[in-house]
Amino acid sequence: MRHARSIRRGLGAAVGLATVLAAGPLVAEDRIIMRGNYYREQSTRVLAPVVYVEKDVPDERFTVGAEYLLDAVTSASIGAGAAAVTGGDFLFTEFRHETTVRVASRLRNWSLGGFFRYSTESDWISRSFGASVARDVFGRAGNVSVGYAGNVDSVNKIFAGRVLPHNSTGDTNLQQVNYLGLGYTHALTPRLLGGVLAEGIHATGPQDNPYRQVRDSLPETHPLLRRRGALSGFLRYAVPKTPLVLEPRYRFYGDDWGIVAHAIDLRAHVRFLKRVVLRARYRYYTQTGASFWSADGYYPAEAEFRTADPKMSKFHSHTPGGELTIELDGLARLRGLHWLRGAWVQGTYNHIFQTNRFGNARLGSLAFSVPF
Amino acid sequence: MSTDRSLPVVRVATVVAAAALGLGALSLSACATVKPSEREVLSRPEMNPATEGLEEQFQSHVESAREGGFGGHGAAGGGCGCG
Repeated sequence: MRHARSIRRGLGAAVGLATVLAAGPLVAEDRIIMRGNYYREQSTRVLAPVVYVEKDVPDERFTVGAEYLLDAVTSASIGAGAAAVTGGDFLFTEFRHETTVRVASRLRNWSLGGFFRYSTESDWISRSFGASVARDVFGRAGNVSVGYAGNVDSVNKIFAGRVLPHNSTGDTNLQQVNYLGLGYTHALTPRLLGGVLAEGIHATGPQDNPYRQVRDSLPETHPLLRRRGALSGFLRYAVPKTPLVLEPRYRFYGDDWGIVAHAIDLRAHVRFLKRVVLRARYRYYTQTGASFWSADGYYPAEAEFRTADPKMSKFHSHTPGGELTIELDGLARLRGLHWLRGAWVQGTYNHIFQTNRFGNARLGSLAFSVPF
Repeated sequence: MSTDRSLPVVRVATVVAAAALGLGALSLSACATVKPSEREVLSRPEMNPATEGLEEQFQSHVESAREGGFGGHGAAGGGCGCG
């Protein structure tokens, strides 16, 4: 519960929300995708299998999708990242169950999407919902989109075997998040695609970890209001006479807790065989610390805000990674394997070198997808 | 304190406004340049941001749990005549 609380933080805001603009992975095709995700760092291991099914009813004009994700988090006993401050370390595993239902519709130049997600674990219940609208413009050379998503989370803490609401310094344990995203993608040349995305989040309610403490055993206390904004952009360029596609990305982020972040993500996609695609990736991320972050963990008793969350610290990270996708159409020619037409398998690995207390991390996944 | 806190938000708003103006100008100048008959390369799977939805979802999950920032993974619904 304690670590998952940290893993959950921002998830409602970002996960549900990244999906709302993309209208989820619905791609107008009856398909099932099974993916096993793995994350490991110094004191935490996460296994997150997910199954996703989508079906056109009867065609791309209306598509429904459903997803189930299980988070199995094995972690040290102290709230994520706080062990170095507070000491103590024994392992336990907890589970989070997440179910998502999506709908999407494609009508001429318009794309509509919506989702509802419910997530539950021992001390946190999250409800997310959202809708998006996109329209092709300039003779389908451009696409403009707007997406909204909301989160209403019940934040609790387990104390002496009882589940108690965690209000932090407020009068409710409901964390409410509103997200708005505006995106635009444009085919700039026959080989160059570009896009921008502006995102904003308004979050109210308890946003600290009820288990995490700063030095002198004082509880962590974060502001009850957080306003966040991000602007990102990308290009995809197909290099002439090669199977290479280059994809630079950049994101700028700022919030009223004093954090300013920059992320540069460079990717190269190479279809080096007819049915094999390799993607290499390097990401650099840097952020300033929150205005109430204390590097040594000491706060005066009268301090309004206190944090032991490594996410609030100044740090940077380097993430190299690779992904291999093999399309299985070739196997579909074999007797009895025709059902593999359009199927693929995919393996992904990223290694995160970071300077915060979480320490370096490994991130991987294996996926299999087949149409039906 | 309030001035310090509002500074990044103001900075974001400034960058967003500048980028919107820049992109708007770019879009208007580029909107008629790519005809449907010229979109063969753009229709390749590697050129479609929407194909990485589920993987991006997990990346976003980890980043939002381990970083102070968020965002950047929302593909704008494909479109753009590439599909």
